[in-house]
Amino acid sequence: MGMNKLQANLCLICVTLLWSTEVIIFACIPDSVSPFATTSITGLIGAVLLFLCFFKRIKAEIKKGGKKLLLRTLLLSVLNCSYNILYQYGLDFFDVSTGAFTLSMTVVILPVILLMVKKSVGKKTWISALLVLVGIAFSYIGKIDSVNLYGFLTLVGGCVIRAVYIIKLNDYAKEHDPVTLSALISLIVGVISYAIWFIFQPATFGAIEWNSQVIASLFIYAYFIVAFAQTLNIFAQRRATAASATIIYSLEIIFSLIWGITMPADLVDPVTPNVYMMIGAAFIILGNLAEIVDFSRVKAIGKGREQLG
Amino acid sequence: MSSLAEKNSTGFWRKSAVFVLLIIVYLIVAVPFKVMEIIPGFTDIRPVSMLMPVFGIFFGIPGCIAYAVGNLITDIVSDSLKWSSIAGFAANFIGPFVYYLFWIKLSKNQFHLRKGRNLLKHTLVIIIDALLVAGMITPFVALSYPEVNTALFFVMVLINSSAFPFCIGIPLIILMQDELGFKPIERKHKIKDMPKQYGKY
Repeated sequence: MGMNKLQANLCLICVTLLWSTEVIIFACIPDSVSPFATTSITGLIGAVLLFLCFFKRIKAEIKKGGKKLLLRTLLLSVLNCSYNILYQYGLDFFDVSTGAFTLSMTVVILPVILLMVKKSVGKKTWISALLVLVGIAFSYIGKIDSVNLYGFLTLVGGCVIRAVYIIKLNDYAKEHDPVTLSALISLIVGVISYAIWFIFQPATFGAIEWNSQVIASLFIYAYFIVAFAQTLNIFAQRRATAASATIIYSLEIIFSLIWGITMPADLVDPVTPNVYMMIGAAFIILGNLAEIVDFSRVKAIGKGREQLG
Repeated sequence: MSSLAEKNSTGFWRKSAVFVLLIIVYLIVAVPFKVMEIIPGFTDIRPVSMLMPVFGIFFGIPGCIAYAVGNLITDIVSDSLKWSSIAGFAANFIGPFVYYLFWIKLSKNQFHLRKGRNLLKHTLVIIIDALLVAGMITPFVALSYPEVNTALFFVMVLINSSAFPFCIGIPLIILMQDELGFKPIERKHKIKDMPKQYGKY
């Protein structure tokens, strides 16, 4: 049993859609709440939920995986925190749409890293990565002069770390139980973020102005983005390659553009679409289609029809 | 005889526990969205609709009742209990029931979302179900509250009842059935088109 490739791709699209709604949930949390506080609290709630629902399963897997599993989840959690911090600082130097397009650089960086570690990358993946790169390039037209080199390098650094994270997660998901990986990553990310939060804001929980909206937003984030999307992502990664998963993640920019155009300005920074942005988005969709669609099957169906005809 | 009675009583308590658990799951998903007004004064966003197919297909009639009761409790808790809640209760029972009726009672095939054809069928059920739910609640709201923009209300119910079962509900079902081992509620008639992965039914 286990999901097939079609199901894995659908799940990865769902994960990407949920990740793209992060900005909407964040908009309901006041700016006074530190991002480290949000990551810490939601990570810990997500971990508690997963431990409550799958305690026996997680306990058995930890017993089986031992130190190796714990070290691996620690590595994944450190990588996760690192790229998120770099993204957070890097995005300050960009407008919403260019920043979001730049984050898709992971799609291009990941196959290069795979090549460097002598892992094979299919022709299809290279074509997809190239199409996504063209899409990113289009989003930069007319904005090159305003790009801050420091901000750009920070984001690219984040993308490199994220690419390593995805490759490692993809490898480990095939060896360990995804629910356990998800629970442990949430827990460790929650603890690391708490430590950073404590350094910047020693009052931690006492510094937050609690109200029903903040609590509701944190819970929604914890079980949709942390517990559900992360677990679904690890299950889907088991059946997909790291490269194909990353290409599907690039759809986040398409969803973000949709939110930016359709959602009210007090929820999401508004995006005014222009021709280059649209062409860029079209290339990213093409890159995804090139990866997701099984052209050999489409050809076979076409041949079958010809023979019938 | 006494062992049969014991078995029945254990079954009753187990079913009751599952029923209560389903209501709790409903409330955990629904209540935060009632508190967090995403688009104030417009309408609420209801990701809890993703549970409609899950409750209908995996838990049958008790799941359908749990869904309707969960919705009623949410209305009470969030201080939005109105006359239209009666129609809301009926519509929220029918919502998951349509999935149960189609996949467990009418379909000749075993329920799974492993093939494109079944995904397409399931999408059609989602659309029909959303139209039915919106069609049931809207006339009541229009009659009880003439100040409400009926067309907008209909569209919002339609979107809530179709987008979430489609975008999040389908992956959730895949996760539950294909990875976590949940089984659709048992059916009595003969089934076809069973993927090998599911073994003997």
